[in-house]
Amino acid sequence: MPPISRGFRGRRHADVDPARIPPGQYLTTDFPVLSAGPTPRTPLDRWTFSIDGEIDAVRRWTWDELLALPQETVIVDIHCVTKWSKLDTEWTGVSLDTLLDGVETEAEHIVAWCDGGYTTNLPLEDVMGGRAWIAHTYGGEPLAPEHGGPARLLVPHLYFWKSAKWVRGITLTIEDRPGFWEGYGYHDYGDPWREQRYWSD
Amino acid sequence: MTPRAPITWRVATVVAVVDETPTARSLVLDVPGWPGHRAGQHVDVRLTAEDGYQAQRSYSIASAPESPELAITVQVVPDGEMSPYLVEEVRPGDELELRGPIGGFFTWRVEDGGPVLLVGGGSGLAPLMAMLRHRAARGSTVDTRLLASARTIRDALFRDELGTLGPREGLRVAWTLTRETPPAWDGFTGRVDAEKLAAVAPPPDAAPRCFVCGPTPFVEAVADLLVQAGHDPRAIHAERFGPTGS
Amino acid sequence: MSDDHTLDCNGVAGLLREVLAPDPTTTHRRCPDCGDTQPLGRHRAYRGAGVVLRCPSCDAVGAVIAEQASELVLHLRGALLVSRA
Repeated sequence: MPPISRGFRGRRHADVDPARIPPGQYLTTDFPVLSAGPTPRTPLDRWTFSIDGEIDAVRRWTWDELLALPQETVIVDIHCVTKWSKLDTEWTGVSLDTLLDGVETEAEHIVAWCDGGYTTNLPLEDVMGGRAWIAHTYGGEPLAPEHGGPARLLVPHLYFWKSAKWVRGITLTIEDRPGFWEGYGYHDYGDPWREQRYWSD
Repeated sequence: MTPRAPITWRVATVVAVVDETPTARSLVLDVPGWPGHRAGQHVDVRLTAEDGYQAQRSYSIASAPESPELAITVQVVPDGEMSPYLVEEVRPGDELELRGPIGGFFTWRVEDGGPVLLVGGGSGLAPLMAMLRHRAARGSTVDTRLLASARTIRDALFRDELGTLGPREGLRVAWTLTRETPPAWDGFTGRVDAEKLAAVAPPPDAAPRCFVCGPTPFVEAVADLLVQAGHDPRAIHAERFGPTGS
Repeated sequence: MSDDHTLDCNGVAGLLREVLAPDPTTTHRRCPDCGDTQPLGRHRAYRGAGVVLRCPSCDAVGAVIAEQASELVLHLRGALLVSRA
């Protein structure tokens, strides 16, 4: 049993409904920056978002075209596998339901791919039904590059490594293909409420 | 051979606290079984709250290997996880867990020779101070130059000691203040740049060992400047403290 | 398949220790992507779900450390070089 450091509490704040904090998580009020590599910088006039793979024709939107689509602003809780949770975060973006509207596919999985080479895999159904967005605005301000700007995938019901920063597209796949962290042992699905951090969980 | 860091955590007791600046403090620690360290190494510190919550951060050892007391220097990070507690709350008698010493890449011994260039920003001065205190303990006159950067004179870590640290022969200490200078300031002003480095550093053909430490943007900028000035990248040792530098 | 001459890891443990035990920051790593050899201490480290160390010369992933509940897992790309001097 390690020694208790008298009076130490960390940066945590206690006045929140504990039912909103998944098991093993601690509340934070700042927004830690985590990444697998350096921050990419893609100029907006070269930025596109694509849906490819098991689809009859590749769909692609430029930055302006993405912003011209119906936008949604949502307030969600986010949970990082490194144990911090941040509540009531506000994001604006385009729902994946809008982007996938009318797509016919046999695919049951997707791989989100990003500037800088990061990837993550998800079941296709987990980015539908109002559960995922391509988010470009955080807290009313343009999403900062260190937090994934110009746009990141936002899938708050799963651990936040699935909310891929600097997203540039999703590939619809028949089989499940592990992404970056999944290939290094992190859980394939990543449900914070079942504490699915690593493959053995 | 650099002392190897044990994998296990040891219990350390705080024996004294030294307020270095309004926002930085040194903690003097008693660590039973401490194996010794090399100047430049750091320790991992772990704190456990009553409910079992744990946090862990790395802090550079500021004391010389020759010193009978082990000291780390901590700079407060606003709303930081551990630094506010360590700088504002901790008292002699408190316990924390420690692992180390860690890191052989960013170390210097008198035997390694010189000339030596040390460039530190903010709390990045801590490991460089260990090197200078080691140099002093050994009475070495190795050509050593320090360019230290701080926001204001009040934040200038170890400034008084650096003014008197010996041996003076072979040692040059230069300060630059980036936000505010006191009246009659005769040091540098503004960020570390090519001109200041050229004024302080040995020339590239003297093949100095360069140690750069502080916030990550500071370290990246200084390392780039040194390479552009012609210093061998392999002679540059960097220790990045992250975005806030603490 | 092994034959009578085959040892197991215990027989070469001392040798493995020479590579695995020393200070990681001075251990060198040869990158399989760009061929460069650099001390691990010079590799940039990124904290994500786990830790990624990237080759200082070409930015390729050099090592990944996954901190799991009961174990640490190190994935290493390339070769480690330890000086015997």
